[in-house]
Amino acid sequence: MTTIAASRPAFDQRKLVIFLLDHIIEMCLLALIILLTFTSHGFLTWANWMNIFRSNSLKGVISLGMTLAIIAGLIDLSIGSTVGLTGVIVALVCREMVARGGNVNVACLIGMGICLAMAAGIGWFYGYFQHKMGMPPFIITLAGKFALFGLAGILSGFPIANQFPDWFNQGGMGRVGGSNGIPIPAIVLAVTFVIVLFIANYTKTGRATYAVGGNPESARLSGINVGRTKVLIFIIVQALAVISGFMYSGQVMSGTYSFGAGWELDVIAAVIVGGTSFNGGAGSVWGTLVGIVFMGVIGNGMTLLNFDIYTQNVVRAVILFLAVLLSSYRAKAKA
Amino acid sequence: MGAVEIRTEHIVKDYPGTRALDDVDVCFDSGRVHAVVGKNGSGKSTLIKILAGAVKPTSGRFFLNDQELSFESTADAYEKGIVTVYQEMSLVPGLSVAENILLGRLPMKYGAIDWRNTYRQAGELLRQMKADIDPHEMTYRLSMWQMQVVEITKALSFNPAVIMLDEPTSALAQHEVENLFDAVRTLRDQGVVVIYITHKLQELPRIADTVTVLRDGKSVGTVEMKTVENKDIIAMMFGKVELKDRPKDIQVSNEVVMQVRGLSRAGWYDDVSFELRRGEVLGIAGMLGSGRTELLRGIFGADPVDRGEVVIEGVTYKNTNPIQMVEARVGLTPENRKTQGLILIHSIRDNLCYASMNITANGWVENKRKRNQFAERQVKELDIRLSSLDASCNSLSGGNQQKVVVGNWLNISPHIMLYDEPSRGIDVNAKQQVFEIMWTEARKGVSSIFVSTELEELLEVCHRILIMRHGRIVQELSPDAVNTNELYELCMRGED
Repeated sequence: MTTIAASRPAFDQRKLVIFLLDHIIEMCLLALIILLTFTSHGFLTWANWMNIFRSNSLKGVISLGMTLAIIAGLIDLSIGSTVGLTGVIVALVCREMVARGGNVNVACLIGMGICLAMAAGIGWFYGYFQHKMGMPPFIITLAGKFALFGLAGILSGFPIANQFPDWFNQGGMGRVGGSNGIPIPAIVLAVTFVIVLFIANYTKTGRATYAVGGNPESARLSGINVGRTKVLIFIIVQALAVISGFMYSGQVMSGTYSFGAGWELDVIAAVIVGGTSFNGGAGSVWGTLVGIVFMGVIGNGMTLLNFDIYTQNVVRAVILFLAVLLSSYRAKAKA
Repeated sequence: MGAVEIRTEHIVKDYPGTRALDDVDVCFDSGRVHAVVGKNGSGKSTLIKILAGAVKPTSGRFFLNDQELSFESTADAYEKGIVTVYQEMSLVPGLSVAENILLGRLPMKYGAIDWRNTYRQAGELLRQMKADIDPHEMTYRLSMWQMQVVEITKALSFNPAVIMLDEPTSALAQHEVENLFDAVRTLRDQGVVVIYITHKLQELPRIADTVTVLRDGKSVGTVEMKTVENKDIIAMMFGKVELKDRPKDIQVSNEVVMQVRGLSRAGWYDDVSFELRRGEVLGIAGMLGSGRTELLRGIFGADPVDRGEVVIEGVTYKNTNPIQMVEARVGLTPENRKTQGLILIHSIRDNLCYASMNITANGWVENKRKRNQFAERQVKELDIRLSSLDASCNSLSGGNQQKVVVGNWLNISPHIMLYDEPSRGIDVNAKQQVFEIMWTEARKGVSSIFVSTELEELLEVCHRILIMRHGRIVQELSPDAVNTNELYELCMRGED
């Protein structure tokens, strides 16, 4: 019989392997940045980086929420439609109220309020029916995707003269600190990151999120309110999609139903590249932030290097594949 | 097919820390049904796994008709004509009966599946089994016993010399069992060696020709079924049981902390009423399928109940749920710790703190320091052996996992604990430690309900025992008034 103390090596190789596997995405990002710095002129400049953040923050904000959903074993495929519908609703309310002699600022705020209330309603609907009826989240939110997209199309079926107030446009276009400053969407991304990170790591909701995704039956039998947790997560995702929709319609100064179409797949890709397990129960908000930046940097780098859009898609596919391969390998290494 | 005989010589199987089989000699011949019985952990499943090629013996030899066998895999055993029907069904629900029987060996014609031949062959096999099942039927439409018969028909399609049936009736309702027995007798009459593993002694007179009893990894003996009665077999299974003394210092007060009134769930338990007192360890004895697990889950609100109510410290609960039970300071350690008790991929710290989440947190925000204290307290008090609180529960042994499940609940400072099979699959030492925990908690005034298949454990641990049969509490007794054999007989009486 060997004693445990004597048989344990001084240097734990397995732990090192797991540490490296856990942080491989950060290392890859670093390597990518170094590579692009030397191959692409103008990559490592303030203006370019602010540009990366400006164009990736809108999806990024939703990715942070989607992280919670995927950790809980859920998914929301309807966020792209929510983004489009948000712009349409705000534009519609502004137009209708201004046409009736209302104040454009008040109108815009009312439109935004309606959108946030809608997010709460949709989130509750998904969470309630998914939990009570055991409907697959994939299907129920796929139905939601069609419904919301259709609704946005119906509402924008007549011409909308967009009359957003200036501050609403600034939400998508503006920068803090002059024309070379930090884009407002990047600041929204940072604030959202801090909030979602806090929820995931420092609140009961966060603990319940991991528990529900890890083993819903054990979570339920431990007295965790599984249904409420799911409703809350769906509401968070939808609310972030609405906020993203505000910024998007502000950025292009119009509300069009097709905005955000197809975003759900990019959003999910960033979460998975960030190391969150599609099986639920494991993942990190920090990882998703790294995933967002990674996908942003690689897109930016490929554009700077004049890759055409088709090649870019193939490269993204390869990255996604490698990320999933890695997480499967990681799960095996830890078992 | 001529006479066939499968035989073992001095089989030994060691697992780390335990000897599962110790010098086992058995011999089974064709044309008869050979029952192998023994309580949990007696080694009967290890013996079957060795004959089926799933594990290799540490030492010893085994023979089929004097030809020595050595299996690297279950495929080798199949090749020799030794097939096993496990209690977990291997049928694919979405395929037809014929496809399941011939799965992987469907007859082909011109490079495509020959469906006419498939159904004809399967139909012939089913006729051979005298089973009235349509080979075209979708498998998910079959009843449990029909699935079990299809499973056996599939085994028969390999032209086996030996068929081993592992607890084939465990999922069957009473009236279905006879149908299955017909199939087993058909099999026997075709000259196959039938080895029948069971823990339901009441079945033996109806199906078995010989009975081999294993106890603690040793073969106690093989007897002709005609010459023995159930109580002889029970005596062979248990031997002389030495019961540890229950601590005498635990005071059960007269104060009733929980009343169960007329609790019923159709098909599982019916009109169950009893009382639980402060500091009491109350045992519920019953065979598998008696409704004991479902009763505990009903009390805890894990499953809905049809009728009845539970009064806990003066508060009446009708169709409650685990969220309310946590608030009422009631804990349940579920039957299956891996799928119901733990979140295996999560850390030991997290698993120790799920039930007590509302206690450790400051409102919505977690208090990491307090969580740590709670986790560390249980590690110390329950003597959980771990490398780090951050390690996943996957890394723990069964006994330590069970302690984490218990610790998760002790962290809510429970008033009532419901233990469902807490000793399943853990070693003797860990078992004893779990019982010690129950007693320690009882001294603090915690009341417990303890459900176990191991009846001698109930005698050892409990102050009072309720006998459950067919979903009803039929008797209440003191553990001092009976011995293990009598308790066993009480539980299975009238189960035919």
